[in-house]
Amino acid sequence: MAGLSLNSVKKRFGETEVIRGVDLDVKDGEFVVFVGPSGCGKSTLLRMIAGLETTSEGRIEIGGRDVTGEDPARRGIAMVFQTYALYPHMTVATNMGFPLEMAKRPKDEIERKVREAAKILHLEQYLERKPRELSGGQRQRVAIGRAIVRQPGVFLFDEPLSNLDAELRVQMRIEIARLHQDLGTTMVYVTHDQVEAMTLADKIVVLRAGRIEQVGAPLELYENPDNAFVAGFIGSPRMNFVPATVKSAQRDTAVVSAPGAGLPELAVTTRGAPPKVGTEVSLGIRPEHFVAASGATAALAGKVTLVERLGGVAYAHAQLDDGSAITVESRDAHEFSAGMMGRFGPDPRRAYLFDTEGNRI
Amino acid sequence: MKRSWRQATALLGGLAATALIIGLPFWWVVTGSIKLPREIIQRQPTMIPHSFTTQHFEKLLQASDFPIYLLNSLVVALFSTAFTVLLALPAAYAFFRMEFPGRNTLYRTILLAYAFPGVVVLIPLYGLFARVGLIDSPVALVIVNVALALPFSIWMMRSFLATIPREIEEAAVVDGAPTTTILVRILMPLIAPGIASVAIFAFISSWTEYLFASVLIVSDAKRTIPVGFAGIIGQYQIDWGLLLAGATAAIVPVVALFALVGRWFVSGLTEGAVK
Amino acid sequence: MKNTTLAFLFVSPALLFLLAVLGWPLVQAVILSFQDVGVIGSQGRFVGLGNYAAILGSGGFWYALGRSIVWVVGNAAVQTALALVTALILNQKFPGVRIARTWVILTWIVPTVVVVIIWRWLLSTSGGMINPLLIQAGVVERPVGFFSSRQSAMTTLILINSWRWFPFTALMMLAGLTRIPGDLYEAARIDGASTWQRFKRITWPLLQPTLIVLGVVGTLLSFNVFDVIWLMTAGGPSGGTQTLPVLIYETAFKGYRLSEAATISVLTSILLMGFAFLTTRAMTATEATR
Repeated sequence: MAGLSLNSVKKRFGETEVIRGVDLDVKDGEFVVFVGPSGCGKSTLLRMIAGLETTSEGRIEIGGRDVTGEDPARRGIAMVFQTYALYPHMTVATNMGFPLEMAKRPKDEIERKVREAAKILHLEQYLERKPRELSGGQRQRVAIGRAIVRQPGVFLFDEPLSNLDAELRVQMRIEIARLHQDLGTTMVYVTHDQVEAMTLADKIVVLRAGRIEQVGAPLELYENPDNAFVAGFIGSPRMNFVPATVKSAQRDTAVVSAPGAGLPELAVTTRGAPPKVGTEVSLGIRPEHFVAASGATAALAGKVTLVERLGGVAYAHAQLDDGSAITVESRDAHEFSAGMMGRFGPDPRRAYLFDTEGNRI
Repeated sequence: MKRSWRQATALLGGLAATALIIGLPFWWVVTGSIKLPREIIQRQPTMIPHSFTTQHFEKLLQASDFPIYLLNSLVVALFSTAFTVLLALPAAYAFFRMEFPGRNTLYRTILLAYAFPGVVVLIPLYGLFARVGLIDSPVALVIVNVALALPFSIWMMRSFLATIPREIEEAAVVDGAPTTTILVRILMPLIAPGIASVAIFAFISSWTEYLFASVLIVSDAKRTIPVGFAGIIGQYQIDWGLLLAGATAAIVPVVALFALVGRWFVSGLTEGAVK
Repeated sequence: MKNTTLAFLFVSPALLFLLAVLGWPLVQAVILSFQDVGVIGSQGRFVGLGNYAAILGSGGFWYALGRSIVWVVGNAAVQTALALVTALILNQKFPGVRIARTWVILTWIVPTVVVVIIWRWLLSTSGGMINPLLIQAGVVERPVGFFSSRQSAMTTLILINSWRWFPFTALMMLAGLTRIPGDLYEAARIDGASTWQRFKRITWPLLQPTLIVLGVVGTLLSFNVFDVIWLMTAGGPSGGTQTLPVLIYETAFKGYRLSEAATISVLTSILLMGFAFLTTRAMTATEATR
């Protein structure tokens, strides 16, 4: 069990800076998830923590010890790879026992620990099989088992569920969450799937282009994004962004209007300095935060182009009169239909304002 | 994927033609070796032998040292193969995964070793071997064969290593395996067909090597098959029967070997090569 | 892996071996070329570039070079054609393809002497199989002297050498072919591409890297072939098949003029290295600009 901290960590590949200065503190036992779009550097960062990539600048500490520059095997970490990376020619038991073999542990200790891990992961009956005889989910569990036996201070997961089908992914997600509950070890998990992030994490780190955009608990990021990028990345379907202008502003409220979209005015809570009148802003409202708009004056107007009905919930995609597109969630499958003109009332308590650079107002 | 009639015929035609081009000469030779001399030289050649005799083979065994040549060739080939693999594997791994100054340049120049005619190397090597008393010794042949097979073997081995997903090696690193262990316990088993391919290549190259074997070995008792047979050709110019028997006898060992391990050579090349 | 010492440890046995067995003799050959050594083991004086002047001035060298070029080009043409067709055939799926792939290489695994015996016999004017068949089929009226003239000897040898080597080349090409994903062909079929178009637009471009390496290495190996030529015709008739390697061998071991042979060797090596260098440069340049 160990905490992890990154201090001003940078990484360069030749001339390109891929990680541009990351500072992060992970408490002992926390489940931290790195999310971000492809190419944001989350996998690179994970591999730097593992020691598979060198650090160009900065310091990495695991369990209070400076491990920058140390071999992966000596950092007290274990890693689960996206492609599982099991040794194809070895049995499940040998795969799981391999790290202990490398640490020159006595045979009976290895056997005991392998059996314990197999029990936790329900792999006991597969111990003598080879990886190619197992299903994707079972292989992933073997990979996790190989990590468990090392009893590491930090578990590292590199998009472990990407290669599984949708249903399996949900199952394995629950198993990993349970694993964390049982073992209590610090876990650093990389994914591009924000659903995995939201459900598994104690703390989410949103990365973009090698920099941290925001760190916080899942709900914190959901309810209080620092910028449009985080707001758009967290939450599915994506938050809607509608261009608007500031009509008036006070200490902690601003009134914006988007006449082109059919919205005369809407009062939104702000934080920080009040914006100037006339400023161009982006009004952010999540699909699930619209209220019934019959008769309300504060509503967006547009034409419904497509309705996706999932049974218990429906998503109406509409094009507003000013050209911008929004998505509105509805619990009534028949509330919207393609082709109709609709009015969509955003809940002002759940609306956000962002300036032209994406920062939260 | 169903084939049109035209495509199937073309394929069959091509296959038949290739099979004939490759196989027919061998068929003639092998059947010729058991024909009576008068049938061999008759005006109208026969596809299926009309006669049968073992006299050519008897003469072969009596008049020549064929079994000795066979043994010599075998010993030299086995040692050459072993050393080639032993040297090529670590070198290939170093070129592939490890970092050291000059790696890329060195790798690209290795295949240039084939830019030099064997004869160039022969003359000075002969002098060197003469000075250290290695003339007429199979050791000299092994040394030369290994040198000749190494560049291509390293190249082949490296491309086999490239087919192993990087993450497996990384998992082993994270598990704490030292580099040598990674090579021996993880990579080697996974590229076993590749190693077999390289071994077969080295074996065959050594088996058929003529130039150096003819110069570096002088006494008859130490000759390898290619040189021994060249001698027989020179001696018995017109005894076709004997020559055909000799040719057949020389083919049999390699064919037998290939029947056993041949598929490894091909599978190593085609299936192991995913990258 | 950053362990440089270990890397050197892994690489040095092979490298040192090659340096010692191939590198050192090359240096020696260069030294020899500046002397006037005759028989092996005899001493020679330093003669500077005298040998080079003599060799480059003599017609023998240039003639042999010409023969070598004919040899290389002929082999390249025949082998590439045969190998490519064979590789394409072996890349298909049909019952017995595995056996075919394994045994196609039969002509490469037998020692050269056997190849020589086989073809000496088959092509001989008395007792061989080919001539009677040709006469029977009405292709020729009298037995063909395959080795009687300079041109026919060279042509015949090229064909024999190609027969020997093309399956090996074919397998190397096959390795390259199998790396082309089958999906590409399926997509092309759906797009309406004919067999020829699939070959031209998918197979050919994606096979380039393999073909380049095979081309360069193949040419080098081809150029330096010695045993087949020596054992079949010993360079004859009247020097018609006397390629540079044969010339070198004769000069050294039959003519007892070691330094001269070394000189020719050095010249040949320079030529080949230049070729390898230029072609790889040109090839990678075209790859980059595509």
